[in-house]
Amino acid sequence: MKHKFANVYLILVFLILYAPIIFLIAYSFSQGETMTNFHGFTWRHYQTLFSDSRMLAIVANTLLVALLSALIATLIGTLGALSITRTTKRVTRESLLALNNVLMVSPDVIIGASFLIFFTMLKIPLGFGTVLMSHIAFEIPIVVLMVLPRLREMSASLLDAAQDLGATTRQLLTQVIIPFISPGIFAGFFMALTYSLDDFAVTFFVTGNGFSTLSVEIYSRARQGINLEINALSGVMFLFSLLLVGGYYWIQQASHKRRQRKREVAS
Amino acid sequence: MTKRRTWTYFLPYGLWLALFVIAPVALIVYQSFFDLGHHFTFSNYSTYFQSATYLKMTANSVWYAFLITLFTGLISYPTAYFIHQLKHRQFWLLLVILPTWINILLKAYAFIGIFSQAGLANQFLTFIGIGPQQILFTNASFIFVATYIQIPFMILPIYNALDDLNPAFVNASRDLGASNWQTFRHVIFPLTLPGVKAGVQAVFIPSLSLFMLTRLIGGNKVITLGTAIEEHFLTTMNWGMGSTIGVVLIIAMIIVMLLTGDQKSKGGTPR
Amino acid sequence: MTEPIITLRNVTKRYDSHTILKNINLTLESGKFYTLLGPSGCGKTTILRAIAGFMQVSEGDVLFAGKRINEVPANKRNVNTVFQDYALFPHMTVAENVAFGLTLKKVAKDEIAQRVAQALKLVQLADYGDRAISELSGGQQQRIAIARAIVMAPKVLLLDEPLSALDAKLRRQMQYELRDLQQRLGITFLFVTHDQEEALAMSDEIFVMNQGEILQSGSPVDIYDEPINHFVANFIGESNILPAKMIADFQVAFGGHQFECADAGIPDNEPVEVVIRPEDLTLTTLDQAKLTVTIDTQLFRGDYYEIAATDNLGNAWLIHSVNPAEDGETIGITFRPQDLHVMRFGEKEAEFDARLETYEELEDDDVDET
Repeated sequence: MKHKFANVYLILVFLILYAPIIFLIAYSFSQGETMTNFHGFTWRHYQTLFSDSRMLAIVANTLLVALLSALIATLIGTLGALSITRTTKRVTRESLLALNNVLMVSPDVIIGASFLIFFTMLKIPLGFGTVLMSHIAFEIPIVVLMVLPRLREMSASLLDAAQDLGATTRQLLTQVIIPFISPGIFAGFFMALTYSLDDFAVTFFVTGNGFSTLSVEIYSRARQGINLEINALSGVMFLFSLLLVGGYYWIQQASHKRRQRKREVAS
Repeated sequence: MTKRRTWTYFLPYGLWLALFVIAPVALIVYQSFFDLGHHFTFSNYSTYFQSATYLKMTANSVWYAFLITLFTGLISYPTAYFIHQLKHRQFWLLLVILPTWINILLKAYAFIGIFSQAGLANQFLTFIGIGPQQILFTNASFIFVATYIQIPFMILPIYNALDDLNPAFVNASRDLGASNWQTFRHVIFPLTLPGVKAGVQAVFIPSLSLFMLTRLIGGNKVITLGTAIEEHFLTTMNWGMGSTIGVVLIIAMIIVMLLTGDQKSKGGTPR
Repeated sequence: MTEPIITLRNVTKRYDSHTILKNINLTLESGKFYTLLGPSGCGKTTILRAIAGFMQVSEGDVLFAGKRINEVPANKRNVNTVFQDYALFPHMTVAENVAFGLTLKKVAKDEIAQRVAQALKLVQLADYGDRAISELSGGQQQRIAIARAIVMAPKVLLLDEPLSALDAKLRRQMQYELRDLQQRLGITFLFVTHDQEEALAMSDEIFVMNQGEILQSGSPVDIYDEPINHFVANFIGESNILPAKMIADFQVAFGGHQFECADAGIPDNEPVEVVIRPEDLTLTTLDQAKLTVTIDTQLFRGDYYEIAATDNLGNAWLIHSVNPAEDGETIGITFRPQDLHVMRFGEKEAEFDARLETYEELEDDDVDET
């Protein structure tokens, strides 16, 4: 009885969670021009999408910003996490962590507005560069948060052991620390990637006129009303998200399994 | 030697902290003291606190964020709880996370279709005999869509709190004679409260600043702090006033963080 | 024999294809201290969970005072548990923790206060009511966990390795306290442990378990002196176990010699195993020796020397001796017939008990005749 209630409840919640997405994608195959009545199957909207050179350029821009910013943010964030664990004073570490989290908890509009002031004051022209810098900036803290737990899991005796066996500082970093925290680095990279792809508000503030990302483009098109090309775009993006999620979980699972296997060997 | 190398590691991260964390916050505070003619002034603040429009807007924004957080919490706690009891809960949790990977604007766009005059929602209302209503561009639709978007962000921390809960506590409670409901009320809920607080943090603050939803779904009827900031920065170009509202938003954020932060509770998890 | 309070009848527990408990039968009487002893993963905690009601058994019956309680939920059973990690609610004070069960039962406030105070006094933490759980040491948390369970006045208290997180000294002290508490309260304790010393020290009766089966049950002395098989002999105390052959009743051969022993009822010439506890071996001169061994190494253990030696057939011997020997020395060892214990391969507890009874009667008859 109680079980039944739980199941019905969950079915309802998942229905609500997925209905809009299914709705969106279903209409990308509709022959009509609105999201009201389904008019029979067509690939037409996908054809429009793939021949829309402006849209394709924006997709390329978005992916470029996402990959580039995620890479740089992962590098800086990992170095940041390493230096945070290196700090010996508790106060220093905690204030560094607090500062790190400022951008995590700040509302997008605040980040966007303050970056806009910042770039304007430095007279940096708005466009690709400012968008890229902003994305790097708000991706760094999530990378730090993903890498830190792995660094904490690494026991001090592991480092001592490596040094005891004659590892130099450089070898310690490249042969012990980096391999050990690599699952955290990968997770951080993926999170940074999704943050970048998902962002609208910050980009909206710092993008200026000449440069656009998908989110900004969808926003301006959605304000003009229904256009089933956007539905087709959702279909493509949903597929892309599935691949990303799949890849992310595959990496997580692989590292988890590897750890488990190691534990089994150890015990 | 090693000391110097540590510094070179820290340099990029330190630069980031200085340029993109400390400087922007300082700048937004600094900017809030300048008027349209770039003169130093307190007038932005005096305008803000003397204007009924601004104060009402702030109160409204907080009220809507509160409602969104409340509904999100009411829906998410049972969801997280039931998912946690499922056999393949990792899979179901993944299904909760998946929608968050879909661009928020696409989800908002979907609701433009669903809530439109001849959309799915109105077809349903016609079907059950109520007849079509104006759904899009109402406060209710804004709350609904915002809640929809925030649900996964509330489910996740609550689920994690449930997962962290030592099952021995539940057994101990049952062992001492508590029914399921008593166990939930006296043991499970108090011990997973940190998850709820984390969820409130994750939902309330963004709900104060969702400007794209107020535009696309709320039809500018609801003006949140976020909408006001966006308007001042990008439309009326009154950066000083925009920054002032930004400072208010930052203060609101700090208050929420303090209220939901982990107070030193009398307990503490035993080993 | 007093009324059984808990009975498990043919209890089996399976998870998927994995059998965790195999046809368990056990009876607990009122007011006794029982211990389930076995290595980790042997199913001892599963038995506890079945009695507490945290888990449904796959087959068989769980009886409480003669009534089947398989379907009774945990919160309606008159048994309480002390958990391995204590499971004290971190969001409540000590007093709130202890009062938890009584509050749920809607017991009057004054009575709750009085019973909580009494329970805290019983575990010697009378003044700790207002403390937070996190302020307590491991030993104190342990006692609060006990107080929280006994305040409910259960008929049976289940203790799931409650001492395993404590250091050795505190563990010894708690052993005394638990035993004392059980005797004062006069209720049944079912204690789960993998520590054989703990089991021997506290119990009225021990159930030795391995791989989901109860191998042997009995008083600590019985189990120590007459282990049923190789596993039990090895698990409880240290032992010398040697392959042997039963020559006739009360005659067994091992190490190239034939010795008098206290066992009978085994077919002649059956291959068996013989157990001799290290403390039952005495060093002696070569002419008085039953066996001759060469000393390999010895360790000083404080109250005795632990000596490792080898006999001329290559069997390893462990000897506990008050006096030291010399490394490399060839020395004699001796033992009494009753110090030998013969174990048959694959003998079940019922058969073992039946066999014991036949020749113990015989012995009694002998005594009568003389």
